Amino acid sequence: MRLLLVEDDSLLAESLQRQLSSAGFSVDAIATASGADQLGRQEDYRVVVLDLGLPDGNGLEVLRGWRARGLTMPVVILTARSDWQDKVSGLKAGADDYLAKPFQTEELLARLDALIRRSEGRVDSMLCAGRFKLDENRQVLATPDGEEHPLTGTEFRLLRCLMSRPGQLFSKERLLEQVYNLDESPTHNAIEAYIRRLRKLAGKDAIVTRRGQGYMFNALD
Amino acid sequence: MPWIDLNRSIRRALLIVLLPASIALMGAAWVIHGALLERMARSFVEDRLREEVSFLKHRINQADGSINALSTGDYFEAVFHHAFAVRVGSQRYFSLARWKPLLAPLLEENGTGFIRRTDSDGAISDYFAYRENFKLGEREVVIVVAEDLSRIDASQRELHIWTAVVSAVLLGLLVLVIWMAIRLSLASVTNLQTALKQLQQGERERLDSDTPEEFRPLVHQLNQLLDTLDQRLARSREALANLSHSVKTPITAVRQVLEERDQHLDWGTRQQLAQRLSDIDGQLENEMRRSRFAGAQAGKGAAPVTQARELIWMLGRLYLDKDFELETALADERRWPIEEYDLNEVLGNILDNAGKWGASRVVLSLREDKAGLVMEVSDDGPGVTRERLSTLGTRGQRLDEQAPGHGLGLAIVRDVVRRYGGWVVFDCSESGGLQVRIVLPDRVSL
Repeated sequence: MRLLLVEDDSLLAESLQRQLSSAGFSVDAIATASGADQLGRQEDYRVVVLDLGLPDGNGLEVLRGWRARGLTMPVVILTARSDWQDKVSGLKAGADDYLAKPFQTEELLARLDALIRRSEGRVDSMLCAGRFKLDENRQVLATPDGEEHPLTGTEFRLLRCLMSRPGQLFSKERLLEQVYNLDESPTHNAIEAYIRRLRKLAGKDAIVTRRGQGYMFNALD
Repeated sequence: MPWIDLNRSIRRALLIVLLPASIALMGAAWVIHGALLERMARSFVEDRLREEVSFLKHRINQADGSINALSTGDYFEAVFHHAFAVRVGSQRYFSLARWKPLLAPLLEENGTGFIRRTDSDGAISDYFAYRENFKLGEREVVIVVAEDLSRIDASQRELHIWTAVVSAVLLGLLVLVIWMAIRLSLASVTNLQTALKQLQQGERERLDSDTPEEFRPLVHQLNQLLDTLDQRLARSREALANLSHSVKTPITAVRQVLEERDQHLDWGTRQQLAQRLSDIDGQLENEMRRSRFAGAQAGKGAAPVTQARELIWMLGRLYLDKDFELETALADERRWPIEEYDLNEVLGNILDNAGKWGASRVVLSLREDKAGLVMEVSDDGPGVTRERLSTLGTRGQRLDEQAPGHGLGLAIVRDVVRRYGGWVVFDCSESGGLQVRIVLPDRVSL
């Protein structure tokens, strides 16, 4: 299984390469952002371990470049910084997991295992309705103006339901089924609150209300 | 007016507004004075001309149209300041010879009223006249009385110039008063500047609160900021001292072992070395996080809904089998007086903790009520027994639970919350898991 390791500390890189190799990966190690960018585009890797602080650039830029080109291999980012905003921007840039230094090799291997298992059989699934795109893996809505909006669990499921059949009317009861776990006692007000929030993200006209009947996704062009 | 920024300097702003204004007002007063003077002089001249015409008329009536009577008697010279001309039928009389060419044509025209000529040739170029027509028996009588305006204009001009001089002097005084007023009222600013300079040089510790009312809140705020800075310095010194104390020893130990040439590193020693390094990392992480908190600060705020959404989305990506949900009625734009990093640290840690322990569902609710700003995270995990609830996130707990993510996160949350004067309550959630409720005061108190 091919793995790309992007890390500029030679001591750490060598040790990781040894341990990852003995765990069964065939590892390509690179220490620069430009080299990583090129390798990632040329070769077909199963998984990538990406350090963020590289001598010639930021790992996040490399990752954004890959994702913009449609490369979907799972990526774990490594960084010495541990604040939450950093993690959020890492995941927003397209990372699948995040590991703060220092970490233990077992932890990294476990994360890689989980990522690979998760990404097996995963196809690049984009739900498109009009010029709206719902990225089902990343749970992100791309609006026609090119902005990406991260969605919470319920928002995502609700929107996926509506966007799966644009123009079709969904009753509140039907949406409640989609949205809540069985042990919850759902209310119509809650649905309205979610719809309000989704409208704020997608635009007022994207979700149409039919009074007393339900909601409909309006795929405007 | 992009080239004058009135907010740059109070002194300049006052001068820029007051000086042109006083000059313009003085100028306007002078112009109005001129116009009034002109009008007064005109009506005075008109009255006199009319009076003299009626006097002449009276005399002509008395003399029954005899013009000769007018020329006799010296008192005419004394009574009439003006030149006059009279025509009775075809008889004419001119009081002064040099006026003859000017008044002769006027005698031939009809109509009662004032006549103004400014363009006539000869010695008198600008004059004002009153003409009256009437019938005496069968004869037509025309009386014209005229005054040379240039003499009046000259004296009027002189008066006007004198007014200008007086105005200029008054203007000078006014400017002086304005300048003095600005200087006096801004003296307190200069005092403040001096005090600030002294503060910078370390000659004083705090600003004097005995300043004009307008500056008192400013001085108060500054002093509070200085207090905060002092506290922060003390805190970071303490943190660094702690850190160096707890880090130097393990570093020394590790170096000693590594530099021992003859000593073979067996597995047990390696593990010990690794443990020392982990300890160092733990200490570093702990102290660094603490010193990164901003704490309550004026002018620092964050949008809790936006930040919560991002964190929830991120944790949803990391804990794929768990459902993170946000419940709030707050608008996305709503801001809370909590520094962004601090808020992230609080929300991130309680959400991450809930994500670790929750079975399938984590709910964050944000609201504002009478108690203040409320953040509540509930999960459906195993929860914590009642007895242990109170010890969650306390210092003792943290130190003996160094396993990744256990306890440390909640201890950090407690720390941040305390710094904002808020409190944390741990409770059991409806589904038996843990519920963490954080309440922060809705106002920053420095």
